[in-house]
Amino acid sequence: MNYRIVHITEYEYSGMVGLCHNEARLKPRSLPHQTCLNSNVTISPKPVDYLERIDFFGNTVSYFSVQQSHEKLTITATSEVSISPERDLFDSGNNQSWEEVVNWLKVDRSGDFLEILQYTIDSPMAESTEELHKYALESFKPGTALIDAVNDLMCRIYQDFTYDPGFTTIATPLSDVLEHRRGVCQDFAHLAIACIRSLGLAARYVSGYIETLPPPGKEKLVGTDASHAWFSVYFPDTGWLDFDPTNNQMPMDKHITVAWGRDFNDVTPLKGIAFGGGQHKLYVSVDVSSL
Amino acid sequence: MPQPLQTGIGVQYYTTKLSTYDEMQTVQGQLLPHWQRVMEALDRIGSVGLERRRQEALRILQETGVTYNVYGNTSDTIRAWELDPIPLVISSEEWGNIEVGLKQRARLLDLVLADIYGPQTLIKEGLIPFELVYAHNGFARSSRNTYSEKHNHLVLYSTNLARGPDGQMWVIDDRTQAPSGAGYALENRTVMARIFPSLFRDAHVHRLATFFRGLRAELASLAQHNKEDPHIVVLTPGPLHETYFEHAYLAAYLGYTLAQGDDLTVRDNKVWLKSIEGLQQVDVILRRVDDSFCDPLELRADSRLGIAGLMEAVRTNNVAIVNPVGSSVLENPALFAFLPAISRHLLGEDLKLPSVATWWCGQKKEMAFVLQNLDKMVIKPINRVPGNAHSIFGSALSKEGMEKLKAQIVAKPYMYVGQQHVSFSTAPSLVEGQIEPRHAVIRTFAVSRNKNYNIMPGGLTRIARAKDSYDISYQTGGVSKDTWVIASEPEEHVSLWLKPRRDQLIQPISGALPSRSADNLFWVGRYAERIEGAARLFRSVLQKLRESREIKDPNDRVCLYHLLRALTHVTGAYPGFTGKNGRKRLQNPREELLALARDADRPGSIAYTLNSFKRSAFTVRDLWSLDTWRMVDEIQSEWRSAVMERKVGIETLHNSLDDLIMNLVAFSGFTMESMVREPGWVLLDTGRRLERALHSIALLRSTLVPRHAAAVESQVLESTLSTMESVITFRRRYRAYMQLTTVLELLLMDEKHPRALAYQLHQLNEHVTALPLETPNVHMSEGQRISLEAYTKLRLADTVELVYSKANDGIYSNLDNLLSDISDLLWRLSDSITQTYFSHIQSSNLQITAPIEEEV
Repeated sequence: MNYRIVHITEYEYSGMVGLCHNEARLKPRSLPHQTCLNSNVTISPKPVDYLERIDFFGNTVSYFSVQQSHEKLTITATSEVSISPERDLFDSGNNQSWEEVVNWLKVDRSGDFLEILQYTIDSPMAESTEELHKYALESFKPGTALIDAVNDLMCRIYQDFTYDPGFTTIATPLSDVLEHRRGVCQDFAHLAIACIRSLGLAARYVSGYIETLPPPGKEKLVGTDASHAWFSVYFPDTGWLDFDPTNNQMPMDKHITVAWGRDFNDVTPLKGIAFGGGQHKLYVSVDVSSL
Repeated sequence: MPQPLQTGIGVQYYTTKLSTYDEMQTVQGQLLPHWQRVMEALDRIGSVGLERRRQEALRILQETGVTYNVYGNTSDTIRAWELDPIPLVISSEEWGNIEVGLKQRARLLDLVLADIYGPQTLIKEGLIPFELVYAHNGFARSSRNTYSEKHNHLVLYSTNLARGPDGQMWVIDDRTQAPSGAGYALENRTVMARIFPSLFRDAHVHRLATFFRGLRAELASLAQHNKEDPHIVVLTPGPLHETYFEHAYLAAYLGYTLAQGDDLTVRDNKVWLKSIEGLQQVDVILRRVDDSFCDPLELRADSRLGIAGLMEAVRTNNVAIVNPVGSSVLENPALFAFLPAISRHLLGEDLKLPSVATWWCGQKKEMAFVLQNLDKMVIKPINRVPGNAHSIFGSALSKEGMEKLKAQIVAKPYMYVGQQHVSFSTAPSLVEGQIEPRHAVIRTFAVSRNKNYNIMPGGLTRIARAKDSYDISYQTGGVSKDTWVIASEPEEHVSLWLKPRRDQLIQPISGALPSRSADNLFWVGRYAERIEGAARLFRSVLQKLRESREIKDPNDRVCLYHLLRALTHVTGAYPGFTGKNGRKRLQNPREELLALARDADRPGSIAYTLNSFKRSAFTVRDLWSLDTWRMVDEIQSEWRSAVMERKVGIETLHNSLDDLIMNLVAFSGFTMESMVREPGWVLLDTGRRLERALHSIALLRSTLVPRHAAAVESQVLESTLSTMESVITFRRRYRAYMQLTTVLELLLMDEKHPRALAYQLHQLNEHVTALPLETPNVHMSEGQRISLEAYTKLRLADTVELVYSKANDGIYSNLDNLLSDISDLLWRLSDSITQTYFSHIQSSNLQITAPIEEEV
């Protein structure tokens, strides 16, 4: 499947901004099942410097600063991505119970273990608590295969929680989300990650997009008009497998991965510091079309 | 041979707890040899002499403005620094061992830091559990692979050392991101050398200057550009920070610019200082801002103390920051448990200085041990959290508290360590004229140099205030001591000055005046003059008040009312003697006058303006000479103790006003005589002239503009002349002929008279022309145009015309119009200066974090 993604972000200020510094993570990663054919970030007004680097988690970061006075800043990321659906999710090892995986993570120190282990401990936006641990244990019954337990957790989040874009903000703590059972994809992903980490397993946050218009006859998925987020769990032998609790499905060829990290903080699509400006407004549009 | 103690300063009663090691004497009560000379000298000085010197030290420290800000107490946050006059004495031999241990530890930690932000081999090989790094809030993922290999990363390194009961020195803390205390140590030393000049000389104390010379050379060597003469700034969180005094002190001592985050900006991937002469590139930043606050773009978005884009500038090697961002990852007590093995692995050596015994709960066996012995342990989280409450003493916990703590540890064991509860040694300290033992901790300082480390000989010793207490933190009231490492021979004096090579031409740096400092200097000038103007008028008011009581001439009363109203106009403390209730206050002015003198919450009062004055002056603490700062301090503290903290009557106020005016004049004198005529001084004096001009105008408009009956007029004229310090001059020039036109000649038009309006406008005109312009222009700047217009308006005026009036006019309207026009121009001039020179700071007040779109 090939997709073109156009992601436009616009900041409008009531006053003049004389200087701003920004960091964007808008370029899709290349993975075994996903190839980023091309990706471009254009900025208006033109920044004096535009630098790309690979961050701690392997994502591409664009840094730029606009030094001329402006009242509006537009960032347009255009990417073309090819995704192959053939992935064998049921390799050997996926029948391992979650406790076996927990023990394996404690012992095995070979290869890229740090790459995995770093996702087993708390991060600022996905901190495990006793309540979350309890919530997780209902899916993680003794002896359950890890894949089944995670699927069950995803399914429960989908059923127990109401998708409610008005309820939470970026700063809403997980305890509120859990208490009111409401949130958006970002909250559901954080919740699942904190639950899974509370057991000693590795889970990370994935940021990306899903197809805007569904194929004929299929329902439109939630999270199509903006960036989307889901989570990924590490399975020995198989590697990382993705789960989308907002749509209750394991991403196959409709999800485009842009970046991953411990939580949203690590993969914020666009952030910036501006000087001047007064009041500001934010407009975002995301358009994902299959080619 | 240890000598028995025979002294008259209470040492015979000096008893220590037998279980604790004492720095001065053996368990048998024998004086240790390296203390001999010092104690003999102190004994000769005697208890009274010591107390006198303690007071003297306190006075010097206060006058120098050595302070420590205490958090969380809004009314009185600045605490004077306290210095115990008895130094902690350490023998050269012992110090030699400590120094070797500190150097080794510094080199080791530097290697660990390089590994953490580089290949992470130590983690991969199991020498450091990954949680120690990855779960620590000091691990700055943004800094990965940004450390250059050319030099040490840990440039400044500090430890807290304490001596255990066995006499062994232990490391109880490592400070690796922005260690504080070196400046306080230096200041303590300066004071000690002053209060014990001969003892200090005879005792052969190792000097500290070498350390600072090393620091300066090391910082200069880190510059990527301008290597010959790099621009180095000290980045401070600002005057509210607990150790702000030290930031200013070090900046001044080392000759660096003191800057706050707002004073710096990143453009073209380089860091620039916003100075009044435009942007100036910065090569090295010596920071006192914590890791996570350094860059709001990549680190904490809510930080207002950092510089947006800094990390990218560091990454592209355009600026060096000391210590590098992320170095607080080493401030983790759990590392103590692993350092011995790391040392053997990396250096092939055993650790020479042991750390306090530490068990990291992330390991099963260790956690079990900690949980079993909780009552004997100090529990710490691996992250340093602000405040003092992060160490939990197991012995102090209730049963419930203990269970709660256990549950916390079990839930996230890797976040905690248990540490042995160590007792520190005691050191002799002067307490109420007697020498008593107090528990002590030494803070040591290391600076990297040519891939090795220089150790400051000595350091900052802190003692607990109370007997048997281990609380040495300043936040809760600890006291400091100088630390004397006794050399066997006198040391040569080391100067901080460098000798240039014979062929090297040194270019002077000028103009590196941050806009914020410029802004504050301008306001220091304005506030100082505002206080002086108010004080002079106040004095005239009191004079008239006394006369009107004694003589009971109705004209006196009328004149008094005019002066009182003038006081309200001049200070801007409305409604005061004007408005609806003004009449009542005029008849009984006592209460209002006292409020104007001492009510610090009343805008316009002398007490209020004094606070503003001190605050502005403190923000540019690094720019004042010692004497000037002493004056700043005295101006406020005298008024506080004489007027604000005491019940004073109107009658005694006169003397205090005299003193206040004298102090202000002395301050002006210092700035006139000891400040270089650089833009900083020009702005200070511009503020002063501007304020004096505005003050004169306000005074003249409320005294001379209204027409008075002849009998009243001469009184009003005299009071006005007296307020403007011009009676003698006037009398000499015009004898006894008191006349409005001649008074105006002197107070308005005389360019040679430093109290006259013409003089102020002339000076302003010169100053504005002398100020730098970002873009040199053949045309006049806006400020120049405005000041010239004001000056010319006055010069073209004719005093006879100014006092022309028709019979039934209540005021001299020509005079009033002129004064009001000039006043408007002066306000515009003030705005223009602010726009041109200080606006950088204002725009950065508007730093906003762009909203982040939520993922849905």
